[in-house]
Amino acid sequence: MLAALHRLPTWLRFALYASVGVLVLAIAESFESGGVGRLTADTASRAMLKWCIPILLAGLGGLFSERASIVNIGLEGMMILGTWFGAWAALEFSPWMGLVFGVLGGALGGLIHAVATVSFGVDHVISGVAINIMAPGVTTFLSSEVFGNRTQSPDVPGLGEVDVPVLAGGTFFGAETPDILGSIADQGVFFVSDLASFARGLVSGIAIFSLIALALVPLSGWFLWKTRAGLQLRSAGEYPLAGESLGVNVIRRMYLGVVVSGALAGLGGAFIAMELTGFYQNGQTGGRGFIGLAALIFGNWRPLGILAAAFLFGYPFGVSLRDLDGQSTHALLLVVSFCLAVVSLWAATARRLVDAVMALVFAVVMFAWYVQTDVAPDWLPNAMPYVIVLLVLVFAAQRLRAPAFDGQIYRRGAT
Amino acid sequence: MRKQWKFLLALVAAFGLFAAACGSDGDDAADGGGDSEAAADGIGADKTVGLTFDLLGRGDQSFNDSAAAGTDKAKADFGVTVNEITPTDASARAGDLQLQAENSDLVVGVGFSFAQAAAEVAAENPDVKFAVVDDSMMNFDTGEPLAPNAAGLVFAEEQGSYLVGVAAGLKTETNVIGFIGGVSGIGLIEKFEAGFVAGVQSVNPDAEVKVDYISEFPDFAGFESPDRGKEIASAMYGEGADIIYAAAGLSGSGMFQAAADHTAAEGSKVWGIGVDSDQYNTVDPSVQEYVLTSMLKRVDNAVYNITEDVLKDNFVPGEVRYDLAAGGVDYSTTGGFIDDITGEIDEAKQAIIDGEIEVPTAP
Repeated sequence: MLAALHRLPTWLRFALYASVGVLVLAIAESFESGGVGRLTADTASRAMLKWCIPILLAGLGGLFSERASIVNIGLEGMMILGTWFGAWAALEFSPWMGLVFGVLGGALGGLIHAVATVSFGVDHVISGVAINIMAPGVTTFLSSEVFGNRTQSPDVPGLGEVDVPVLAGGTFFGAETPDILGSIADQGVFFVSDLASFARGLVSGIAIFSLIALALVPLSGWFLWKTRAGLQLRSAGEYPLAGESLGVNVIRRMYLGVVVSGALAGLGGAFIAMELTGFYQNGQTGGRGFIGLAALIFGNWRPLGILAAAFLFGYPFGVSLRDLDGQSTHALLLVVSFCLAVVSLWAATARRLVDAVMALVFAVVMFAWYVQTDVAPDWLPNAMPYVIVLLVLVFAAQRLRAPAFDGQIYRRGAT
Repeated sequence: MRKQWKFLLALVAAFGLFAAACGSDGDDAADGGGDSEAAADGIGADKTVGLTFDLLGRGDQSFNDSAAAGTDKAKADFGVTVNEITPTDASARAGDLQLQAENSDLVVGVGFSFAQAAAEVAAENPDVKFAVVDDSMMNFDTGEPLAPNAAGLVFAEEQGSYLVGVAAGLKTETNVIGFIGGVSGIGLIEKFEAGFVAGVQSVNPDAEVKVDYISEFPDFAGFESPDRGKEIASAMYGEGADIIYAAAGLSGSGMFQAAADHTAAEGSKVWGIGVDSDQYNTVDPSVQEYVLTSMLKRVDNAVYNITEDVLKDNFVPGEVRYDLAAGGVDYSTTGGFIDDITGEIDEAKQAIIDGEIEVPTAP
């Protein structure tokens, strides 16, 4: 059956997985006493989309850097540069210039990291940490000089939002179109309406900025796997000496990877300032650069995997914020427990008994937690990304494959 | 050639570090103290106040700005010198207070998180007076002040919140009202919640109050996450609330954005209630029309008064409570959105001052 699944086109397979996910969520929430369908509402998927974008962009940033062998702990700092430069240019010129300058600000951070690690052979982690320390200082300084306020800027305009025509009732060349998903969602049919409602959130009220970020997922995949420059970049991450021997300028490819990495992180920062918060604010990235690295690992150094991780991390966070009484988040405990049980079963059929028993124990613990409580604590969704990555490392470490030369220092001519 | 390049890069890196250091707190300490145009002949001409902000510092449009307004007034009236420091991280509090103590006659810590550090630093600097906003600075086991030279400026936030609760209860059309707290588990924001809910129910027993906190102690992100505040507010408006009161520091600005977005999308006007300072004057002009009223916490009065007390040798250690009667809390009418109900709010205010209404402090 699994083989049949894998013969399907990737997008169909992912759509199928998502449908199963929505079904599980709908069932889980139906057990809650005051369940109001928050988990499968269009507001939930819209919140997921909104909160996953910075994680996605940081993750893609990590992808470009690590595929070129450079570990980028400095993503957080590059994001911070992106928040300030994005907000500044959006205020000074226009929202589109905010986007451009967010990219440039992050790329500047990437360039510093590239100079330190690629040219001077500084340990990647040390250089990255230095950037994380320097970036908030630089932006605080710039902020107090330019905005006259060291902690925040005036309100920043965003790029606006669109509704997709036909599916979600957006306008098409000025003409009103039907809201097909909306009308199905209003029927109140179990699962079908849940699915329609969840899908509607992904195509209505969607920030233009988010569309750009999502478009970068296939674009990154195409660049890294389908172009000559992408292949050369990946060769720098796998075995730079081989590339070098074939006449590839791996140093240049490493620079490219790290600068693009910073640019993507900076774009994520600009998104936080322009779309999420609506102004630049000291410390507003809140560690999303690090969560982006977690998404990179979860996603097995692949764009679609990173997208899936970003959804997985963004969803509980967005939902729990909209979950005013803590009940919907509580239903997530049941979902986690169920997923662990599935993992356990899967490990058992693969005759990996230790994994199976461990997953089962975790599943039982989560289920006990679910039964013993009525509401989930507020910190749970914040902890979710880290817990998920830990679980992936425990159960699927053999399947993860980082670029072979990841984190090592390459010196031209050295063997 | 290569060597020169490295040297240049080292220079650039050094500049970056320098900029980072400047960005942290050196600049503020300097510009606060250099201002000598104030009334130099006042009774405070040779005195210095060390104003130590909480993490966000001047410009938070709320709590810290209010404290700064107090010292600004003291500077104008008494000619005192004011040194301002904004800590860059939570672990530096004791060090910042000590730094202030070495040059000041009165050190003010803006925020309860200074309490422990202030008690320690006060013991080491017996000649300097200390004041902490939002902590009583009392040892509750003995009933004695924590230090003989430290005062705690506390406010009856529940009384002010009660008043804006009355406003919300009278103004709501959907009978659904929201409360967004910044950080739960400290006991401070729960006072706002309790007063607000009691105020709503006193005039509108049918109204439902949806309560949500952004983060839980010891995670203080809830006070500085406008993005999360916006998401929560948008959920509350989406579930029928038409007025939300945010006691969440900077996060409250997200609520006003959400109010503007919701009003634009749904066509029916929703409101936000501000906190600490008159937020009609501090929010972006584009969202001013959504600020129904604000619960005023007169940190400026408290800081001004304690400065005056020190200058006139009237300093008393331990808890100094600012309630409605003492002018420590109030509500704002800027914008004129509640002009039709100020009579009823003022009745409630008088009843609290007279002791006829006992406002709860815990939900």
